[in-house]
Amino acid sequence: MRWLHGRWRRDVSLLAAGALPAAERAAAERHAAACAACAADLAALRSTLAVAAVDEACAAEPPIAVEWLRARVQARLDAAAAAPPRRARRAAWVAGLAAAAAVVAATIVSRPAPPPAAGPAVADGVVEPEIAVSDEALERMERTMARERTARYLDEAQDVLVTVSGAPRRCDRKTQHVDMGDETRRSRELLARRARLDLDGSAALTAGPVLDDVEKVLREVASLENCARRRDVEAIHRHVERERLLMKMELMTRELAG
Amino acid sequence: MEPSDRDLMARLAAGDKGALDPLMERHHRRLYRIALGYLRDPDLALDAVQETFVKAFQNASRWDARAEVAPWLVRIAVNQSIDQYRRVRRRRTAEEPLAEGDHSKTLAVEDAAPDRRLLGREIGERIQAALLGLPDRQRAVFVLRHCEEMTLEEIADSLQMNLGTVKSALHRAVRRLRETLEGVRA
Repeated sequence: MRWLHGRWRRDVSLLAAGALPAAERAAAERHAAACAACAADLAALRSTLAVAAVDEACAAEPPIAVEWLRARVQARLDAAAAAPPRRARRAAWVAGLAAAAAVVAATIVSRPAPPPAAGPAVADGVVEPEIAVSDEALERMERTMARERTARYLDEAQDVLVTVSGAPRRCDRKTQHVDMGDETRRSRELLARRARLDLDGSAALTAGPVLDDVEKVLREVASLENCARRRDVEAIHRHVERERLLMKMELMTRELAG
Repeated sequence: MEPSDRDLMARLAAGDKGALDPLMERHHRRLYRIALGYLRDPDLALDAVQETFVKAFQNASRWDARAEVAPWLVRIAVNQSIDQYRRVRRRRTAEEPLAEGDHSKTLAVEDAAPDRRLLGREIGERIQAALLGLPDRQRAVFVLRHCEEMTLEEIADSLQMNLGTVKSALHRAVRRLRETLEGVRA
């Protein structure tokens, strides 16, 4: 009997939520009509769900027009397309190092050859330089470069946000529109670079939240019209202020730049 | 004649980004409500919707041409909402737990009267508190029923869950809501 009531308990919840299919609904209603405890339970749940129906989230409209959403999606797709996969990035980096090594080798070759007995192995006048870079050293250099790239990115993003937060000039005398052409272009460029920032380890943990916040704001800027409504720009400025984003960016830039 | 969602998906799978526009036009409001119901934060919800369409484009070639498009988009939106929520919770754990709510942002409905809006916000907060202790999927089940009035079968289809699991999830969510909304009158 207890187990049976447990089953009814679940059906009463679903009945109150209006989610039971017709056949099960009829059975649950019959049971509730004959069981005082379940009837009271049903009434209480229905009253709760009537209150929950006032929930604003279910009636909310997106805070931006679909055109803006489209621009944001486009910016994300462009950024994703511009970012090579991690393995390719590593390969490109190693290729870069190999190229640097080749330059070093060429420099060594162009110098007068040392006396045969004292120098490295020479065959037909070509010196074979031994360039041994351990994986650990490679990783370390890669990490340093990633930090420097990120610091530069944050520095440039700061420039953009400072301009947005400043007093942008009007692009139309009759309306309250302001010129954001340069900022939207720079934001798009930065967003394309964002995907290539490949911090890892503790640096990623520390900088990740700031980078995410910056990306979000840059996306907002990138989705502005060249001649943007002042209130849209001010909304971005308020967000930057509220999150104290410029200060966080400054601190993070310094930390990454060492 | 307007192209169907399936036609648009086929174009998307062929790499035609232009097909995203009508898909966004048709589905973004609903996906936003779902994401907002789950995340309770307009900015995060917008991010989740944006990422939903990014994923839809990136994974269009893997979409099963026999499947309905709307449940597929809902599934992506729910997954994105879950990801967003986890990411923000991790980030804010120390200083501003999402668990306690960031209610500085408004969920205001434009035409609601002030007292109604206040009540709506309070109830929104209570619903958030009620849903917080539920596992991710249970929360999603409640939101799809509560905000979108989807049937149990539709929810099971969208979230690729067993029907019995959907029923249990909704039952638990409703019971938890009962506990947290006790004493509140609409």
